[in-house]
Amino acid sequence: MSISGGVFSLRRIQLWVYTSWFEFLIRYRKTMLGPLWLLVGPALFISLLGLLYAHVGGIPVEKFIPHLTIGIVVWTLITGFLVGSTRVFQKAQAQIMQDGIDLIDIVMVSVLSTVIHFAHQVVLIIVVLAFFKVPITPYALVSLVGLVLLIINGIWLTIVFGIIGARFRDLAEIVQAIMRIAFLATPVIWMPSKTGRGGVMGAFLDFNPFYHFLELIRAPLLGTPIEPLSWILVLSITVTGFLLAYISTRLLAKNIALWV
Amino acid sequence: MTSNATPPQPLLHASKLTLHIPIIRPKDRQLLSNPARFLIDLYFSRTNRDVVTILDKVSFTLNQGERIGIIGANGAGKSTLLRLLAGIYAPSSGTLEVNGTVKGLFSISLGMYPEATGLENIYMRGLQMGLKLQEIKEMVPEVVEFAELQDAIENPLNTYSTGMRTRLAFSISTMIEPDILLLDEWIGAGDARFRDKVQARMNRLVEDSRGLVLATHNTGLMKRLCTKGLVLSKGKMAYYGDLEEALEVYTNDKKLQARL
Repeated sequence: MSISGGVFSLRRIQLWVYTSWFEFLIRYRKTMLGPLWLLVGPALFISLLGLLYAHVGGIPVEKFIPHLTIGIVVWTLITGFLVGSTRVFQKAQAQIMQDGIDLIDIVMVSVLSTVIHFAHQVVLIIVVLAFFKVPITPYALVSLVGLVLLIINGIWLTIVFGIIGARFRDLAEIVQAIMRIAFLATPVIWMPSKTGRGGVMGAFLDFNPFYHFLELIRAPLLGTPIEPLSWILVLSITVTGFLLAYISTRLLAKNIALWV
Repeated sequence: MTSNATPPQPLLHASKLTLHIPIIRPKDRQLLSNPARFLIDLYFSRTNRDVVTILDKVSFTLNQGERIGIIGANGAGKSTLLRLLAGIYAPSSGTLEVNGTVKGLFSISLGMYPEATGLENIYMRGLQMGLKLQEIKEMVPEVVEFAELQDAIENPLNTYSTGMRTRLAFSISTMIEPDILLLDEWIGAGDARFRDKVQARMNRLVEDSRGLVLATHNTGLMKRLCTKGLVLSKGKMAYYGDLEEALEVYTNDKKLQARL
């Protein structure tokens, strides 16, 4: 298995887009609601939990539910990348053994599949923002920058975790375990307080990379400011990540076919 | 058959190809003989990791118009060598130089989507094999016709009989004609009538290719097709060169042992 030149050829892009869309389509072909199922689950979760927690925490519903909705949808994207990455090469075993398909093709199909799921759930965000009449300013466009950064990070993450996960099957279990804790440690179902972004987690929040990625997308939509620290951290994670991806590909990609 | 003129550039040049593969074994060899051992292994014993040498310093050159037959007993490393030549595995050491497109016809039914229709599978497999959408579109009528699936091409693959599935897989896999054809045993698919068509297409593929590497343990087939022979025994190259001599080495155990 290799990485060959000309990463962005027409043939490649066709392969990525077609495969990811097609696998998505096949998955829902036999269902009645189809991809609407991607909205039903989160919608129920958001409305029930939103009402309940807003009540418990004494936060106004029109503040909490938009916060929660964006949080859940972006969180699903993040978990999609992380959980999908650890077994990405095992799942593509047939293609690897049959055609010696390129590593980057497998990775891009996986990333795109996750993005397609996410794109459906964006509807929830739009509906909620419209319903609660959250004022949208030009600043909200920064959210797109955050989203692009997150998706780009999904690429290196899938490469690195995919390679490690192919060699050490333990990684899938580790990621599952961590993501459950990370969900609670990230302000998705709770809001950092106005004063010290505090609560129990306050002091640790800055060390939570998920929080910073989430903030870059959520804060512009809700009109809250982004701390410079978030930008610095996300950008350095991006650079470090791609460096890691480059190194691990050069050193280890050739072994993937033996590991899966 | 062999010309004395030096060919411009060899299609394949393998030099001291070596492949080690990691394998994971349970520590307890009689694991499933008794439920207690099963539990002990799962929770306490864990596994042994081992590295096995599958190929040991295999060197050969495939020139334009040559057809090399790789012969050897089961487990000699024939299929693994083909996978190496196809670029699926990367050699642990040694070098492989490839000039031209390589396509292996092995495990042809892998990588299909059981829930997708035959037609959809043609597209998806085509993309995975490295074709552009437009190219696939042009080939579809021919593939469908060759597979003799008629209207069944619109049905999902999991409604197909084994024969239909093999026919489709074969038609798809032979859509493209590579410069270098790799065959893991001769393919014979389907009922008597279809078998003739398969034979004809296989012969055409071999004729049209600029070089062939065939792995087999059928001496008759090798005599009929190949111009050179390579004898493998337990991953080691026992002989490479003249076809008659190769077959002699393979069938005569003393000669084989003497050469290892």
